[in-house]
Amino acid sequence: MMTDAFRVSTARALVTTGALLYIPSNVIPVMTMTVAGKTEPLTVLGGVKELWDSNLPAIAGVVFLASFVVPLLKVVSLAWILCLHGTDRHQSARNTVHRIVHRIGSWSMIDIFLLSVLAAVGQLGALGSVIANPGAIYFCGVMICCLFAAEIYKPRLIWESHEDPKT
Amino acid sequence: MKPRSPLGNEWIACPHCEAPCRRQQLPAGCELRCSRCGSTVIEPAGKKTFQPALALSVAGLFALFLASISPVLTFDVAGREQAGYIFTGVKELLHQGYWMIAILVFVASMLAPALYLVSIAYVSTACAFRLRLPHLFLFFHLAEWAEPWNLIPVYSIATVVSVVKLRMIGGVTWNDGARWVLAVAFLTLFAQQLFDRRLVEHRLGAMGLLGESGRGE
Repeated sequence: MMTDAFRVSTARALVTTGALLYIPSNVIPVMTMTVAGKTEPLTVLGGVKELWDSNLPAIAGVVFLASFVVPLLKVVSLAWILCLHGTDRHQSARNTVHRIVHRIGSWSMIDIFLLSVLAAVGQLGALGSVIANPGAIYFCGVMICCLFAAEIYKPRLIWESHEDPKT
Repeated sequence: MKPRSPLGNEWIACPHCEAPCRRQQLPAGCELRCSRCGSTVIEPAGKKTFQPALALSVAGLFALFLASISPVLTFDVAGREQAGYIFTGVKELLHQGYWMIAILVFVASMLAPALYLVSIAYVSTACAFRLRLPHLFLFFHLAEWAEPWNLIPVYSIATVVSVVKLRMIGGVTWNDGARWVLAVAFLTLFAQQLFDRRLVEHRLGAMGLLGESGRGE
C-alpha cells in the first residue's frame, strides 16, 4: 500500500510534470486538417478561433473552457492544494477546490475525443483528412498527470496538519 | 436498514475525508453530515434500493454495445462517403503512430465505461437479491477505479463539436451510433447518481461479506 508521504510526493511530481507539459500542449499543433488540398495545422486555441470565426460562439466557448481553461485551472488549483499540504490554512477551501477539480477535470478530454472522431471520419485523402500532431501527446500528458494526481492525493490528506513529521 | 451493533458508541469514517463521526440514531428524514468537510455520512433511512442502479447499468451496457457496433457519423465530401465508428478513431490514431492517445481514447470511451457498468450491474445484482456472488469486492473496487475514466458523456459532446467542425468541410449525417452514445452518456450519469456506495457497503456488511480487509482506502 502507498504511504501518505509517497502519495504527496507523487502527486507533486505529477502536477509539476503537468504544468511543464501544458506549455508545449498549447504551442504545438494538435491536428492538421486538409480541406480540398489546403493543409492547415491547428493548435488548441487555433481550433477555438476557427469555431469563433465561423459564427459559432457557443461551441467555441465550450471548447475554449474545456480544453484551455479547465487544464490550466486544474494544474493551478492542484498546485495550490499541494503547496499548502501539511499546513492548516484554507483547509475547507482546499476541500471544496479538490471536489470541483474532481468533478470538472474530465472535460478537458473533449479535445482528445474530438481528434479521435475527426481522425475516424476524415480519411478521404486530398478531399479532406485529419491527422494527429505531436501537440496532442503533450495534451494527453497534461490530462493524465492531473487525473492521477487528483486520484492519488486523497481528500483526507488535506486535513492533515504539521503533526505528520514525514512531510 | 438495521444497524449491526448498538448505536451510540460506534465510530464510522466519513466517506469523503475519513474523519471519524459517531453513528447516531437519526430522526426520520434527517441525515448525518461530516462536521469537517460537510459531506453526507449517513443518508435518511429507507427510500433507496439497488434496483434502479441495476436497471440503468444493464440498459447502459446494451446501449454501449450498440454504440460500439454502429457507425456514429457519416462524412461525405464530393460524393465520397465514409462512416466512422468509435473504434475507427482508435484504429486511425494507432495507425498514425499515436498509440498513447489511441489507448487513452479506447480506455475512456470503451473499456472504462464497460467495466464500470459491468461492475455496478454485478454488485447491484448481488445486493438486490442477496446473492453471495464470487469476487464481489473486486468488482466493488473496480467500479470505484473505473468511475473517473468513464468519459462517455464527454465523448458525446466531442461528437457534437466534431459535427460542427466537419460541416465546414463537407456533409455530415448523424447515425444510430451517435444516439446510442448519447443514451450511454445519460444512463451512466443516472447510474452514477443512483449507485450508492454506502448502501452497498452496508448491505455487504449485513451479508457478512465485509471483512476487516474490506475497509480499504
